[in-house]
Amino acid sequence: MDIYETPLPGVGVRYEFTAESGDRVGIVVRRDGKRDLGLYDREDPDACTGTLELSEGDASALAELLGGTNITARLESLRHQVEGLAIEWITMPTSGGLANRTIGDGHIRTATSASIVAVIRDEVGVPGPGPDFELRPGDTVLVMGSEHAVGHARQILIG
Amino acid sequence: MLLDGGVHALRVAAAAPAGTSAVLLELGVVLLVLAVLGRIAAKLGIPSIPLYLLAGLLMGDGGFIPVSAGEDFLAVGAQIGVVLLLLLLGLEYSPQDLQHGLRTTWQAGLVDGLANGAPGFVLGLLLGWSMTASLLLAGVTYISSSGIIARLLDDFDRYANRETPVILSLLVMEDIVMAVFLPIMAVLLVGASLVQGAVAAGIAIAIVAGAFFISLKFSAHVSKVVHSHSRELLLLSVLGLAFVVAGLAEAAQVSAAVGAFLLGLTLSGQVADDVRTLMPPLRDVFGGIFFVFFGLTIDPRDLVPVLLPALALAVVTAATKVATGMWAARRVGIGPKGQWRTGVSLIPRGEFSIVIAGLGITAGIQPQLGPLAAAYVLILAVAGSLMMRFAARIGPPSRWVPAALSRS
Repeated sequence: MDIYETPLPGVGVRYEFTAESGDRVGIVVRRDGKRDLGLYDREDPDACTGTLELSEGDASALAELLGGTNITARLESLRHQVEGLAIEWITMPTSGGLANRTIGDGHIRTATSASIVAVIRDEVGVPGPGPDFELRPGDTVLVMGSEHAVGHARQILIG
Repeated sequence: MLLDGGVHALRVAAAAPAGTSAVLLELGVVLLVLAVLGRIAAKLGIPSIPLYLLAGLLMGDGGFIPVSAGEDFLAVGAQIGVVLLLLLLGLEYSPQDLQHGLRTTWQAGLVDGLANGAPGFVLGLLLGWSMTASLLLAGVTYISSSGIIARLLDDFDRYANRETPVILSLLVMEDIVMAVFLPIMAVLLVGASLVQGAVAAGIAIAIVAGAFFISLKFSAHVSKVVHSHSRELLLLSVLGLAFVVAGLAEAAQVSAAVGAFLLGLTLSGQVADDVRTLMPPLRDVFGGIFFVFFGLTIDPRDLVPVLLPALALAVVTAATKVATGMWAARRVGIGPKGQWRTGVSLIPRGEFSIVIAGLGITAGIQPQLGPLAAAYVLILAVAGSLMMRFAARIGPPSRWVPAALSRS
């Protein structure tokens, strides 16, 4: 699924995607944390037929009801607290880098000071993978650290 | 001893200037009038800015309620209002917003400036005004009201609409242009020659570029120094800094407003977030005083001769704004109805038109500029808001819509 991201200067960010039913859904994440959930008009696809205004808490409650994980919400609040912390989701390439090798092979922690916090494989999350965890092509690796360290770690991971 | 202390306190109160009670009374009345008008505006669903202006017109010289004792305070309060308006405007935008805005919307911004500045400029020349005064009028007609428009987009739940980024980007572009336009005007207003003007323009652009550079590269450092977890200390730091920067800018003839705007751009991150939640009430109070004071400086009897030109200007520049907005929206693939909404949403003029006209009033260059700008903003703030509200019902005019798309 493609999610389009559009900056709304002075307001926040708008995300939109087309649901499998063909309905288009838009979510505005405002800078103060409020969310506007908009359902677009089929006749006039630029306008919303209705908008739902949600607080930050409402939004995560709704997300949980809809079956989403709250991992991104947690990460987001973490990012607010720690200035200069970068978090990146890196998808493993089919070959090269650390594909089909263990995390320990990359010496990421010692070489870059960034940490691999979790690996997501086939929709299943593996939190805190050890050094002997073998990375496979297509895995999503969640790396955290300073911006520089994360960039360096990405190079090691994808080669 | 206790008695002595009490007597002493009384003496201090008694030693205050004789007019104190009159000043307090007048200020109280002015603020209460604003409070009542604000409520009326909210009930009617129109922005409060035109009502505040109207209140100012009706008070003071030539009006029904004379305000004289508190005028000094109102003058300073109005100045503080401008500084806060522009400081918060600058804070609204992150450096990324500005970069993105400049990159994606500069063409639309250019069209916007030409199409909407030209009518004001031409009318100024037709009225026999000087070049400088006509340029100020161009600024008045060019700039849409970010305050009114952003507020109404929120009220009408239109943030999620696909055309909204187009509207907001155009507003950002206008604000960037104003950051360059104001200092140039400030220099032209002190009667500089063409060469001096060009040099001043160069300096103005350099200062703005410098502020952008600082805000892009070093805003984290600046913000860290200013930040405090105590709301009191944060407010004191930011307000103090804003007044110092605005004062210095004014002394360097760059205009206090621009100084405050650039400071707002430079602050970002946590400081910007905190100040954005703390400061709006303060801005709205002093902003209200600013509009009242602007009205106060204008004799309502001067409005009569400029009413027709203001109306004509309003009609023409409403049309040019609609055209600009529709063009900008069409370029990014928004449908006809969305194009229409974009155009209509850009019509309201407000705070910045008044700020620009205020520059001219302070410099005393063209006595008609103030009344004309006041009448113009009164018309377009109200009419523009109402058109935004009823955009779906009044448009788009059917002949603009290809037959295939206009079924409904």
